[in-house]
Amino acid sequence: MTHEQTTVKFRDIYIAGFVTALLYILLMDYIDPVTEALLWVIGIVWAFILFKRGIDYRKIMYSFSLSFLTIISFIYVFFILVLRLTGYPRAVALFFLPLLTLAVLGHIKEKILTYRETRKGIKVKVSLYKRVKTTLYKLDPIMWVFIVVGFAILIVFLIIPVLLMLYHAFEVPPGQPIWYNFWRIFNTRGYVKTTLYPTDRFYIIEQTATGRIIYIIKGINFGILLNSLINAAVVTITATFLGILVAFVLARYNFPGRTVFRILAMIPLFITPFVNAYVIKILFSENGPISIITETLFGWGIRIDSLAGVALAQIMAFYPIVYLNAYSSFINIDPSMEEQAENLGSKGAKLFFTVTLPLALPGIVAGSILVFIFSLEDLGAPIVFQESRLMSYQIYSSFTSETGIVSPEMAALGFVMLFLATMGFLAIRSYVGMRSYAMISRGGRWTLREHRLGWKGKLFVYLVMLPLIIFTAMPQIGVVLLAFNIMPPSGFAINLDKATPQYFLELFQNPDIFVYIRNTLTYALIAVGLATIIAIMIAYSVSRTKMRILTPTMDTLATIPLAIPGLVIALGYFYFYSTFFRGTPLDPTMGPTAFQAWIVLIIAYSIRKLPFVVRSVYAGFQQVHEALEEAALNLGASRSRVIFGVVLPFILTYILSGAIVGFIYISTEVSTSITIGGLRPDQAPMTFAMMMAYKGTTTYGVQIAAAMGVLLILFQLIAVMIITLVFKQRYAFIGV
Amino acid sequence: MTRVRLENVTKIYGSVVAADHITFEVESGELFTLLGPSGCGKTTTLRIIAGFEVPEEGKVYFDDEDVTFLKPYLRNTAMVFQNYALWPHMTVYDNVAYGLRIKRKQLGLTEEEIRKRVKWALELVKLEGLENRYPLQLSGGQQQRVALARALVVQPRVLLLDEPLSNLDAKLRIEMREEIKRLQKKLGITTIYVTHDQLEAMSISDRIAIMNKGKLLQYGPPREVYFRPNNLFVADFLGRSNILYGEFLGWDGEYAIVRIPELDMDIRGVATTKDLPRKVAIVVRPEIFRLAEQQPSPKENVMKGVIDLVMFLGDRIEIRLSVSKTDLIVYLPNTLYPTPGQELRIIAPKDNVIVLPAKWE
Ligand SMILES: Nc1ncnc2c1ncn2[C@@H]1O[C@H](COP(=O)(O)OP(=O)(O)OP(=O)(O)O)[C@@H](O)[C@H]1O
Ligand SMILES: [Mg+2]
Repeated sequence: MTHEQTTVKFRDIYIAGFVTALLYILLMDYIDPVTEALLWVIGIVWAFILFKRGIDYRKIMYSFSLSFLTIISFIYVFFILVLRLTGYPRAVALFFLPLLTLAVLGHIKEKILTYRETRKGIKVKVSLYKRVKTTLYKLDPIMWVFIVVGFAILIVFLIIPVLLMLYHAFEVPPGQPIWYNFWRIFNTRGYVKTTLYPTDRFYIIEQTATGRIIYIIKGINFGILLNSLINAAVVTITATFLGILVAFVLARYNFPGRTVFRILAMIPLFITPFVNAYVIKILFSENGPISIITETLFGWGIRIDSLAGVALAQIMAFYPIVYLNAYSSFINIDPSMEEQAENLGSKGAKLFFTVTLPLALPGIVAGSILVFIFSLEDLGAPIVFQESRLMSYQIYSSFTSETGIVSPEMAALGFVMLFLATMGFLAIRSYVGMRSYAMISRGGRWTLREHRLGWKGKLFVYLVMLPLIIFTAMPQIGVVLLAFNIMPPSGFAINLDKATPQYFLELFQNPDIFVYIRNTLTYALIAVGLATIIAIMIAYSVSRTKMRILTPTMDTLATIPLAIPGLVIALGYFYFYSTFFRGTPLDPTMGPTAFQAWIVLIIAYSIRKLPFVVRSVYAGFQQVHEALEEAALNLGASRSRVIFGVVLPFILTYILSGAIVGFIYISTEVSTSITIGGLRPDQAPMTFAMMMAYKGTTTYGVQIAAAMGVLLILFQLIAVMIITLVFKQRYAFIGV
Repeated sequence: MTRVRLENVTKIYGSVVAADHITFEVESGELFTLLGPSGCGKTTTLRIIAGFEVPEEGKVYFDDEDVTFLKPYLRNTAMVFQNYALWPHMTVYDNVAYGLRIKRKQLGLTEEEIRKRVKWALELVKLEGLENRYPLQLSGGQQQRVALARALVVQPRVLLLDEPLSNLDAKLRIEMREEIKRLQKKLGITTIYVTHDQLEAMSISDRIAIMNKGKLLQYGPPREVYFRPNNLFVADFLGRSNILYGEFLGWDGEYAIVRIPELDMDIRGVATTKDLPRKVAIVVRPEIFRLAEQQPSPKENVMKGVIDLVMFLGDRIEIRLSVSKTDLIVYLPNTLYPTPGQELRIIAPKDNVIVLPAKWE
């Protein structure tokens, strides 16, 4: 294919989209289904013609930004169609249509081409029987055990519960069509509300009895489903933007105090369920410090509440995930990539947008997608802000209903959430996977590119970024202040004189409270033990076998819990145990005295947090070269001798690191803890008690919850120190 | 066209002196090579010229303009990195057009003119038709050409090449070095070329500078540095040589007489300096030996030895000749049939024996 022959330029595809969208906008007010269908056909056919005339569809695959845009627009168009949104959002969808069509056509063509290539490539035909036989021959009994048990666990405790949830999602009232629950979710006003009323205001101004003026920012309600989507989108975009900004400055510039900045920027990563949202709520209440500032400056107070509050809390809690990913992406860009651009005359913003950002993008979006998933499933912020108009809150509250039965509609909602999360996750994963080999680097020296900051930069760093970073660390600072009673549980003040370790001590002295801590510790220890065993089996099988479909499937299954919202696991487990263990102590519907929540919780934990352990163990196995093992096998050692006697001791630090990280994520787990755990309160873990405290439904106050938060921070600090100082490994916070 | 001059350029990394008072001048339109073993400071020197590093001491001039502290994006040099540094997210076309697009306003270029110039550059490196490929779809040699085109298209004042061929296989390397030489002569761009391959350096350069441990030891045309090394390191690094230590006895006209204990004889040769110390060394290239005729003059360097080892190399024959207490490397024409154990008398012509102070730097 030479350049001269391609008369079709790639921009033609945008023209096609633009024209189709324009037609739609012109006809918008009179359009009927038939005309609209025609427009869709036009878009598709146009793309097809361009495809036939040889437009360079490969561009979509190889261009960083285009492939990303295509994935995002896929999701966008899908939702526009499902939610039947009209007007300008739909025009945008039509704009993307030709591009998407082209992507699909190109994908199919490439698939066919590679299929033909491989067909041609395989000269020797080996029958399936022989292939299976040689594969089986290579597996010795212990590998067999690993693979079968690993798969069985993942299928029984992950796939089946999720499928059960799906099954119940199709449970409909008599006389209704099978998709009734989904239909309701996409069509009821409570879920999707696209018309705005005069009362739907982003903020309102309120005057209190004392005559104070307060701006109350609440956000606009678009219905549960759209709220969740919009919230997740806003949080993801803002967090991504912030994360990139902070990461870039810290990665590329050197200025006094940078180390302090780096440490401060890590603080929000310490997970303190509920507390962070609570502190933010206080910070942005009419009596909070922000209001005090605005009051003196402008004469009015401010309160951020409801949806806006949830978004704010989530942005602050989740932006470091993007920051960390972006930071390591920036650090890992081959410096010669940027130097070459500089050498050719590029600098500043141009250099950043043409070279640096596109190269870092895969790493960045890997962080962004996690923020998206975490935002979707987050319960802490919605519960603290009492914002029930979100998917996560809805599912959660179905567990607390009087009947003890989770409604099928919630199962359907859970499925929608699962779909959103896993689709996004898998799309980004394949995008990142496609790009990760993109760094071609041979030889050359690796000097980090660092610049001194000029005075303008310094002003920016100290006046904008420092406050921002300190601000995002507020929740963690606030929880300490709360726990030691320096900050009162409501209103806002700093009373150093009232500082007391009393609440912290009470954690251990009051048996009613200590039981939660004991629960968390026992569950986390047992669950981590289980997870480690499963992780070893799976990681070993994945790293040592190269079976065609089986190995990658196992790999994906072991990673996917990262993308499965905890609430989906909770729903799935609810159905799973109430179906297969009906009437036994494992049946969640047995009531708060008979149900043995602890067993269910432990299993749920070990599956949910499995990816963290697997990743570390897997990294360990990759350190041990297969040839070493083969040498030992060759000398007559049995596979089990090799694994348990040689390999495992060798990678012990990896296993322990994985276990520690797993322990941290388990002890801070929220979703299943407060749903499944909530069904048997006396067996519930710490996070459940913390939630109850913030809801104000306990005899003890918020300070106790804050003290628990401090305890969790302490765990995490110790974990970070052990892993980085003793094991000399990276503390894997979070990543795809 | 631009002259490049370095004056006492010194760069220190921690405790390593990567460039130690480097001084040289590159004529405009010249292909100048920095040659030296790994870690000797070639890349550092090149990066200082490109502006990525600022020297601790010394100055860099382009023509008479002091550019020591000029930012890299203002220098209008074009560098080809050892790893090519092709941007994987851009097509070949976009990679090559990048430099022009960045300077589009400054140069007043239209997209059409850019297209023309990119086409010109791609034709120059024989890559027409691959505009829409991405770097990952190219072979190593093709990637190398793209990097070259990207550098040439901006018509830089100075072209900087950092081991551009080190990632290619042997055959391609020879092909590409010819091409680079041809292109450079055709375009007349002042070029500074970095390599650790002495054959590559000699075949391609107008002048070569040999570096070791941050120091520039000698520079001059390939023939000169090859035949008149002023230093044992240079003699040893360029080509192959027999290096023998001895004692300077005195002059025989213009030739220095050196007592070589290992050969147990006196050797005459040309000296690189008039005031030789007592401890000297001689450098004898293996290809300068010729077979001795029946009655050689007593003033010739005649050596008698026994053939120890014979290696047929195709274009020549390499033998080890045991002379007294040492073995000499000797090349013979491939028309001869030497055999081990055979006695041989050879002459090392006086004009081709170099006498040097016995120092390595
Ligand atoms: N950024 C740096 N920081 C510290 N030391 C450096 C740095 N860059 C180069 N050096 C050191 O300076 C010396 C010269 O390095 P340079 O890269 O110039 O060598 P080179 O001649 O290009 O070697 P090679 O043939 O291996 O590329 C080496 O000892 C190297 O370790
Ligand atoms: Mg180098």
